[in-house]
Amino acid sequence: MIKTIDLKKIFTGRGQTIRAVDGVSTHVESGEVVVIIGPSGSGKSTYLRCLNGLETLTSGHIIVDGIDLSDKKTNLNLVRREVGMVFQQFNLFPHKTVLENIILAQQVVRKRKRDEAEKRARQLLVKVGIAEKENVYPGHLSGGQQQRVAIARALAMDPKVMLFDEPTSALDPEMVGEVLEVMKQLAREGMTMVVVTHEMGFAREVADRVLFMDHGKLVEEGTPEHFFTEPREERAKAFLKQVL
Amino acid sequence: MAAGLWIATKKIDYTWRWNRIPQYFLYHQEDLQTVPFDGRVSRIDKLGDKTIVSVISENGDEKNFEIDTATLQVDVDDELLVGDEVGATLHWRAGPLTLGLWTTLWLSAVASVFGMVIGLVTGLCRVSNNITLKQLSIFYIEVIRGTPLLVQIFIFYFFLGTVFDISRIVAGISALAIFAGAYVAEIIRAGIQSIPKGQMEAARSLGLNVPQAMIHIILPQAFKRTLPPLAGQFISLIKDSSLVSVIAITDLTKSGREVITSTFATFEIWFTVALLYLLLTSVLSQVIAWVERRLAVSD
Ligand SMILES: Nc1ncnc2c1ncn2[C@@H]1O[C@H](COP(=O)(O)OP(=O)(O)OP(=O)(O)O)[C@@H](O)[C@H]1O
Ligand SMILES: [Mg+2]
Repeated sequence: MIKTIDLKKIFTGRGQTIRAVDGVSTHVESGEVVVIIGPSGSGKSTYLRCLNGLETLTSGHIIVDGIDLSDKKTNLNLVRREVGMVFQQFNLFPHKTVLENIILAQQVVRKRKRDEAEKRARQLLVKVGIAEKENVYPGHLSGGQQQRVAIARALAMDPKVMLFDEPTSALDPEMVGEVLEVMKQLAREGMTMVVVTHEMGFAREVADRVLFMDHGKLVEEGTPEHFFTEPREERAKAFLKQVL
Repeated sequence: MAAGLWIATKKIDYTWRWNRIPQYFLYHQEDLQTVPFDGRVSRIDKLGDKTIVSVISENGDEKNFEIDTATLQVDVDDELLVGDEVGATLHWRAGPLTLGLWTTLWLSAVASVFGMVIGLVTGLCRVSNNITLKQLSIFYIEVIRGTPLLVQIFIFYFFLGTVFDISRIVAGISALAIFAGAYVAEIIRAGIQSIPKGQMEAARSLGLNVPQAMIHIILPQAFKRTLPPLAGQFISLIKDSSLVSVIAITDLTKSGREVITSTFATFEIWFTVALLYLLLTSVLSQVIAWVERRLAVSD
């Protein structure tokens, strides 16, 4: 489903160069849940943002569903509609109600009719458990509710892959569970997911594979059992000692 | 201070004639009705305010005049010569101050609309990644903001007006619109840049292209935030429009000057003109405040 080959993203600015992603090669199979963990600043977000073209890559290749993003001729908008993304800060559209948030892209991008889009939006609101809030503006929702709306908004495009960038990091602890629950359900339904998170419990329970990044490099990769019980790399061991 | 002013005006021996002002808003114009031939008044029918006067000429032609009763000047059987008055019809006419107010109003409105369009396009160029568009918009903004509006109006009228053969009114409106556009562009730029980056990213990640994201996500939010400074800009535009009176456009200010030359009621007229500008600008503020309240529902 997703394949990255020697992916590099180098930021240059104010006289310094930051190798945010430094030669990552990996792949995500269809239906697989991949969790990316690593210390702050290790390039997890940048890597994820490269996957849907929010960052332009410096070198290497990303192939999503057979389309090479690094190819100049690729229309990134066509790729992005197949790749849903959920952000740490939710990024709901504050001037639109919950329902409008979810139907906008369906209408503008997918060219669905209004009632068809509304029907899909209501289905998804039921699924994420906030059907009663459809006419509320995002500012009136709790963080957990906002994040669930954001998930519904991404799902409304019927994406082939969902990317999550620390979806629970901005939430109060009592709201983390409700968002993770929605994500677990998605995983059970066979959605292909790439999740950056600090929720080790989630990684252990849901992930098919864990990627550990440090300093832009993919340091270790394996099943959760392997990764959490007997990591090979020193850096992974040190990191786990800190977070567990 | 008010008392001081009052005493000072007493001293200069100025006679206030406020009662002369209303006629420059609205006045009753008399259209005199005269007979086109020698003849005799045959009948007068009074129908309330209106009166029908029938006049028969020497060779038997009859002609009816409808006039206002108050202006009736003849009796039955009066002998009339060519050009004699029978009476007059009265019409309400808008006076110069009303016409000037109207000119200022529509001139500012048209200039605002074009200024908004120019400002929006320039503001978008200003934030675009295209270097040429960006540099051009910066150049335009700097030139306009760095020169006086009065000079710009003269250039538009005397130079562009002559070269492209445009009328004074078009020259005046263009100068105002292009002036306002530069300021609107900066307001729009600031508004767009004040929207968190995550909004654009969320829109792009849903597959919207940049124009779609601008139209549906960024601009509506930016518009809401820029409404107060935009309102200030358009209020300025109404006031700045008084400068077009220098190229002989009969706006409110020029009308005021013209009325003064015939009445010498200098003080009264300028106070009245100031009040009329205040009226326009406060109505605009009220409208904008209403729009702001409407948009505040999503907060
Ligand atoms: N737009 C940018 N310009 C310059 N440097 C950037 C930019 N975005 C990220 N970086 C740098 O790239 C490196 C990787 O950042 P990234 O956000 O991918 O880390 P992360 O693993 O997601 O960290 P965190 O856990 O804190 O979210 C950091 O050193 C960061 O400062
Ligand atoms: Mg991050």
